[in-house]
Amino acid sequence: MSAPGKTEPTEAIARARAGDADAWGELYREYAPAMFRFCRRALPTREDAEDATMEIFMKLRDKLVQYDETRSFTAWLYKVAANHCWDLLRRRKIRQDKETEDVETVPLEHPDPNQLDRMIEQSTSDEVRKALGKLGARARMALVMRYYSDMSYDEIADALGVRRAFVGVVLLRARHELRQALGGPGAMAAGGA
Amino acid sequence: MSDMANDPRDVQHVDEMVLLLYTERQLDRVRAAEVSAHTQECNACRTLLHAMERESRLLTRAMLEEDEVLPARLAQFQQRARQSMQWIWGLLFGLAATGVYALYDTYLLPWEDQLQQAGFGSTSLLNLLIFQGVFWKGWQSVITLVEVVAMLTVGGFALAFFRKRLRRGSTALALVLTGFCAVGALMMPATASAQDMRKGDSVEIRSDETVKGDLFVFAHRARIDGKVEGDVYLFSQDASVGGHVTGDIIAFSQILRVGGTVDGNIRGFDNTISISGNVARNVLTFDDIINLDTSSKIGGSLTAFAHSLNMDGGIGRNVLIFAQQATVSGTVDGGISAKGENLRINGSAKVGGPIKFEGKYPPDVASDAKLASPPVFKQMEHKPEYAEGSYFVWQVIWLAAYVLFGLVLFQLMPVFSKEAVNSVEQYGASFGLGVLVFFGVPIAACIACVTVVGLFVGLATLFAWYGGLYYAQTIVGALVGQWLLGRTRETWPLIGRMVVGIIIVRLATMIPHAGGWIKLGVVLWGTGAISLALYRRFQPPMAAGMAPAMSPIPPTATVGGAVPA
Repeated sequence: MSAPGKTEPTEAIARARAGDADAWGELYREYAPAMFRFCRRALPTREDAEDATMEIFMKLRDKLVQYDETRSFTAWLYKVAANHCWDLLRRRKIRQDKETEDVETVPLEHPDPNQLDRMIEQSTSDEVRKALGKLGARARMALVMRYYSDMSYDEIADALGVRRAFVGVVLLRARHELRQALGGPGAMAAGGA
Repeated sequence: MSDMANDPRDVQHVDEMVLLLYTERQLDRVRAAEVSAHTQECNACRTLLHAMERESRLLTRAMLEEDEVLPARLAQFQQRARQSMQWIWGLLFGLAATGVYALYDTYLLPWEDQLQQAGFGSTSLLNLLIFQGVFWKGWQSVITLVEVVAMLTVGGFALAFFRKRLRRGSTALALVLTGFCAVGALMMPATASAQDMRKGDSVEIRSDETVKGDLFVFAHRARIDGKVEGDVYLFSQDASVGGHVTGDIIAFSQILRVGGTVDGNIRGFDNTISISGNVARNVLTFDDIINLDTSSKIGGSLTAFAHSLNMDGGIGRNVLIFAQQATVSGTVDGGISAKGENLRINGSAKVGGPIKFEGKYPPDVASDAKLASPPVFKQMEHKPEYAEGSYFVWQVIWLAAYVLFGLVLFQLMPVFSKEAVNSVEQYGASFGLGVLVFFGVPIAACIACVTVVGLFVGLATLFAWYGGLYYAQTIVGALVGQWLLGRTRETWPLIGRMVVGIIIVRLATMIPHAGGWIKLGVVLWGTGAISLALYRRFQPPMAAGMAPAMSPIPPTATVGGAVPA
């Protein structure tokens, strides 16, 4: 991901749109690491992430003419990447199996604030990344879109094919799943607060 | 969401969902102010809010930390792709295009010339095969092969461009199909000529009779002494045309005698043909014996496939002969190109053009024959093709043509090509189906061609089948490439593997003696895989994990309410 506040290479984008292979190379070098990390977080295996990164860039090359220059290039890249990864997961039928759907209908219990605070205090980034790998596809995808690529609720809703009002629910359930995966208070004690 | 209260001991807290939306700045200002006020007063909610904010930061930090180094494969991907696109594929495309042109120039063009001389009146081979000739009226506007190829190329690119849109089944598909139908309708033969069909043991058109339109004769004996203002189709054991035919004669006979006048062409598939009259245009004939009497006159060219040929009459243009024994005694205003065992040119012969003869023995030319130039003789040889240096050059050109063909098809139909490559791994099914399709389709196509209505369908099927034989080799090539370089789901890497595999397959087919069998095996295998992929395409989709129509009833369940006591 581009560093926050870093200006986008508008000149290279314009040249790449005009078919300049060198400019495309510049864009690739600039954004490929971020795209790979996005895919690495969103997809189950490293091989999947490598394949997806290449496929995304091939897709981007074809779609570059469709890019609206008045909008953020980085945001557009992540939108394409998110759509691609989600399509990939959906095609593999690992999006939502029956069991997960049942789980999603279970009401969430209120967490114990102190217990949650302790768990977060003790968790490392590495543990969080490992725990991410244990989540369901939609939960992981939602967290990656929100906390890695900083996508808006509208963009997440669009990518996941859900109503905007449901994005918060998806994110909250994803957090609960993550807490469970971290060994913490996933299903918090009822009335814990 | 719960309400808020000021008393922390009897409080209704803000629920977690609202706190999440608050931390994510998704609440409106009023609601956000309420939550803010509550969390300042409520210790539990404040703690939870802070925990969730820390959780958000932890998530962001965990995700953004650069623990993943870009794999070397990805680091090289862009450079590799760029280079290959610019150099390798460009070079390959250029080579392949040159190869295709060379193939066209060497093989197709001479045949076009010969066929044009044979009286098909066009410069186009495709035109001849599909649109021209006696079967199809109204296609007289010349569509050259180049134009057809150009149209197909443009069509291919258009198809590739609109492929995704077409897949959606949108109105674009309807528009395109409507357009094709409209063009097809415009290009359909504008006129349907009248037809007269005569059947019987003996059919005769008397000298005072005139048949308007095409005449179809199915008879043991057929005799046409009158006038036919159209084409004549003869299916007869013994046929004789002594009258006047303004169109063409198409004859399937044991014996055909033409003593009258034919304003068009003669196409004969007979045992013996004897011409003593006038043919204004050309004669193409496949016979055992061909006799052109002294009184005969052919205004155009003669193309003859025969065992024995005697030419005593006059021919206005060139002569192409494939005959074991050929004797020329008459006048030929053009040249003679002959292939066979013997060629004899008698003293009465007069030939205005060059004479080329490839045969077993040198031509026997009478000293008093009037020839524009001495005959050029080439001894028929049967040496192995490997002995010729050009063989390997042609192999390279063919290889490039295969790669180009595969490249275009893999780009046009990436998903289907991948399915076919997957199918090819089902060795038994592919091979078995391949045998069936390899032999069955041409037979079915020929049967379709027997009827005039099915001619186009038959020829189109035959073309598709023939193209499929080449496509089959690229499919097997792709599999061989995957064996060597590993599996891939992407199109371009698959094309790369196809290129590697095609090289190996082509090398294998060059092995003396065994090469032909290897090629046959590859063609059967690949054809079967394509057929298998096609078959699966047209199978109704079966939803994976489809729930049964009714839930299974547990063995302990009762139907119709409680069990009576």
